[in-house]
Amino acid sequence: MLLGAIFAGLFYFATVVFLVGVGARIARYARIPAPLVIPTTPAPTTHAGVCARMFREVVFFESLFKGSKWSWLFGWLFHFGMLIVIAQHLRYFTQPVWSWVMLIQWIGSYASFAMFVGLGGLWARRVLVDRIRYISAPSDHLMLALLLAITGSGLLMKHVAHTDIVLLKAFALGLITLSWQPLPNDLVLLAHLSLVIILMLIFPFSKLLHAPGVFFSPTRNMRDNPREHRHVASWAKDLPKSADSADGA
Amino acid sequence: MRRTAGKRLARGWIAGLLLGAATLCIPGVLFSDVAKPQIPSARGEQCVEPVEIMRRDHFDFMKHDRDTTVHEGVRSIKHSLAGCIDCHASRDTGGQFISINAEGQFCQTCHTYAAVKIDCFTCHAAVPATKVSQSP
Repeated sequence: MLLGAIFAGLFYFATVVFLVGVGARIARYARIPAPLVIPTTPAPTTHAGVCARMFREVVFFESLFKGSKWSWLFGWLFHFGMLIVIAQHLRYFTQPVWSWVMLIQWIGSYASFAMFVGLGGLWARRVLVDRIRYISAPSDHLMLALLLAITGSGLLMKHVAHTDIVLLKAFALGLITLSWQPLPNDLVLLAHLSLVIILMLIFPFSKLLHAPGVFFSPTRNMRDNPREHRHVASWAKDLPKSADSADGA
Repeated sequence: MRRTAGKRLARGWIAGLLLGAATLCIPGVLFSDVAKPQIPSARGEQCVEPVEIMRRDHFDFMKHDRDTTVHEGVRSIKHSLAGCIDCHASRDTGGQFISINAEGQFCQTCHTYAAVKIDCFTCHAAVPATKVSQSP
């Protein structure tokens, strides 16, 4: 019971830091001025085109595919493995379990291996490719280590050192209904949960902010229309008109 | 610039810590209890393993003993599925056995709760063997 209460407290703390931190980051990204029209060409000229481009970027990692096939392969395997695995974890937080969550349970086993392979490949790239190793900072390695440890401990629980998932689900339901329940006292589970808490805590201050950040990237979210529309940054609209003519003279 | 970023970070952590501590002060008992599977009671004295172990590893035991039986022909196994069903299948009001994988029955109640599919009973019987059905 004490263990459950401690982890419940840690989860609430991590959730607050995660939500407030990421929210503050998004607010900051949204306010950063984009004074110049700098979409990477060829770029769409319409809003619909920008939405389509962003969709391809987020779902298929289009520019990464054009840039580096190996990074794309491992990156895509990891990200979409993670998407399915996170969706699969909803079985712990829904009662009765949503029908589509039931349906994807079997894919989750494969998706977790895809995650593991993807992360392993991304890390191998940082170690084995000379020019990537040269530009890799400690945080690049540590984020991969953290994600790999989360995936590894999850796989270990599924295939080797099982935990009591019925008791675990009661704990998870207790978390979201503010009624603390005991947590199974299994070392691998506690490691898995602790690592997830660490991930939530450092997410708002880490390179993982590329997740919300991609939507604010001017090279991706701008239209290629500098001839049709003069682009004036919002702060520049307040400048006195005379400044323009003085420059032109 | 660095100092303001550091300050903002510190403020975020303090706010998070306070909010986290505040949630800990809410007594859990005030809120309704969470949904848990209602497991039907069993017959028999004692399970083949402690309950704690069975909850974590029953499928490994069953799969291991399936291999022992099917591949090596050993039939005197400790963790047989038929043994589970003998103790854990419930009877309805008419005294007939209910399938152990029916909704709300011993296997299904937890398996539905945890969204884990059971495929034992596409081949195996889900009720104890009775005199009528047993071969001579």
